[in-house]
Amino acid sequence: MSGSNIKITVKLIGPFINQLGFSEKTMEFPAGATVDTVLSSLPLDPKRPKIITRNGQAVTTGEKLGDGDRLAISPLYSGG
Amino acid sequence: MYGWTGNILRINLTDRTHKVEHFDEEFAKKWVGGRGFALKILWDELKPGIDPLGPENKLIVTVGPIAGIPAPNTGKTVVAAKSPLTGGYADGNLGTRVTEQMRKAGYDLIIIEGKSAQPVYLYIEDDKIQYLPADEIWGKGTYDTHDWLYKKYGKGAGVLSIGQGGENMNLYSMVRSLEGRAGGRPGIGAVMGSKKLKAIVIKGSKPIPVADPEGMRKLGLEDLRKVGEIDKKTGWSIQGTTGVLAWCNEVAALPVHNMRKTHHPDAWKIDGERLNNARVATYGCPNCTMRCGITILDHEGHESELDYENIGMLGSNLDIFELDQVASLNYLCDDYGLDTISAGAVLAFYADAIEQGAIKGDFKFGDAEMAKKLLGMAARREGEVGNLLADGTLRMARKIGHNSEAYAMQVKGLEISAYNCKFIPGMALAFGTSPIGAHHKESWVITFELKQTARDSYGPEKAAKVIELQRIRGGLFEFIVACRFPWIELGWELEHYVEYFNKTTGLNWTLNDFWKVADRIYALMKFFWVREFPFWDRTRDYPPMIWFDPKNADTDGPIAGKYLELDKYNQLLDYYYQQRGWDKRGIPTRKTAEALDLKKEADQVEKFTKLE
Repeated sequence: MSGSNIKITVKLIGPFINQLGFSEKTMEFPAGATVDTVLSSLPLDPKRPKIITRNGQAVTTGEKLGDGDRLAISPLYSGG
Repeated sequence: MYGWTGNILRINLTDRTHKVEHFDEEFAKKWVGGRGFALKILWDELKPGIDPLGPENKLIVTVGPIAGIPAPNTGKTVVAAKSPLTGGYADGNLGTRVTEQMRKAGYDLIIIEGKSAQPVYLYIEDDKIQYLPADEIWGKGTYDTHDWLYKKYGKGAGVLSIGQGGENMNLYSMVRSLEGRAGGRPGIGAVMGSKKLKAIVIKGSKPIPVADPEGMRKLGLEDLRKVGEIDKKTGWSIQGTTGVLAWCNEVAALPVHNMRKTHHPDAWKIDGERLNNARVATYGCPNCTMRCGITILDHEGHESELDYENIGMLGSNLDIFELDQVASLNYLCDDYGLDTISAGAVLAFYADAIEQGAIKGDFKFGDAEMAKKLLGMAARREGEVGNLLADGTLRMARKIGHNSEAYAMQVKGLEISAYNCKFIPGMALAFGTSPIGAHHKESWVITFELKQTARDSYGPEKAAKVIELQRIRGGLFEFIVACRFPWIELGWELEHYVEYFNKTTGLNWTLNDFWKVADRIYALMKFFWVREFPFWDRTRDYPPMIWFDPKNADTDGPIAGKYLELDKYNQLLDYYYQQRGWDKRGIPTRKTAEALDLKKEADQVEKFTKLE
């Protein structure tokens, strides 16, 4: 970890993998980064509804992330 | 009357007779179609307490007013009967060419009564009805059966068939159509088998009665194109429903080891990404431009089409993390005509019961080869084990004893779909109150719970959301009969379906009109159950007791140490009942029934239990 950066593992779900070209990646962000910070760094359609979880729990976009957090970003589904 | 043909084809297999009856506009507007039609017919015509596998049961095949017309995802047909698995009302929908062909043959409803003395299949072409010997296809799987029928009648025919599962009255056997998928989880295939009816083939040549045929045609084709474009833009079909698997693993909702666990480090081996990489073909139902089926080669080299439920229940729930082996189990279920969800739950329960020492056997979690053998035994009811496995988890648990019912993962006798609700109260409520037993098709509230509310809330907002989704999914989409996928997955607004309905029928309905029909149907479905089980109480709306057991809580991951709390679940049920206008037993009150135009039905159910 360089300086006061934090490492976040970003896990993409479904078609987001194809849109961004990776499935799971550990990325560095400045300390104090929020869910929004991560989202704005990714070329995802901001208008498309998403379900975002941190370490498996629901999270709001303004929440601050901690070093080692895992952020899963999924489109909406209505079941199998 | 536009939108509906108004024709009911009533077939009696005992004496091989048939007649065409008619329904009027009042019936059409009150019940709309699909689930609504099937429920009302079964309510009116079945005597309570009949043997679901006897000649008194009736098999219903029905469609809705927009079914079969060119418009997004309108290729679905509903099959229904009294369930041999649950003893209650049962239905299911499946994509098939039968939808369009049945409409063109001039029928909205087919009622099949009695029982043939010999294996038979039905050939329906407009007004011509033939009862033909099924000797050459009886005993065959659904693939061979369909191939044989397509050779005889051409690929344009609509075909429904059963496999060996239905023939041998496996209680979770389904009705299958190779032009789409399978439907009727609670043993509709067994009902068809009990009547010695191997298949139904339908061809039609008449116009479908549409109030604004040119307007509807133009709109429907344009919208099919638009839905296809949105799908391409969003990439939804790249993984289809199987994207859900990785998500469930992230949020601790994946069925693993008979739902004793909620996530697994090897889940990635069977997820949508791996599936898409292994894809050899893409599959979809008629009238669909967002084809969600992903076909891969199974362990034996067959083409097998998978979705999330198949992989969750036949893969992770059995601790099988080899995709080709999961595909093999799925292929066998499809060929035998078994429900993949219940089949996965049954095998997992069997392995669990053996692991717990409740029963002796040589099947272990993770053993794909033995799982294949057991599926065949269950489909053919071979020996003691085959017969045990053919009856579903609830009957198995009652035979096995040793408190195994606590981990028989079912509600009302129907096995829970691939969402592990160890700590998802709203989805547990959705399974608990699903009107055919535990099924995800009625209400899928997980995303709401994990996106917009606290996961640990048991508040009235969750009950309200379950009801809202039941109105849409178990109501609207089941009675106009269309696939729900464009709605959430692609953001295709519900108002489109109102427009299709109005252009087809010439009516001027709004969504509120549909919600009233949906509430009426849900109330009558509950009455159907109460009539069959007059000492009804709320415990029948409970999920399996193991989800309330602190000892079953995860030891690691997002919900470590968490479990459902029974007193809070009861509170959530109260919210649900209050919002529906049902009493504390979970039965619609007389006031609610009468507000839904169910006075006559309320009078009938009061012969069995007192209404509040």
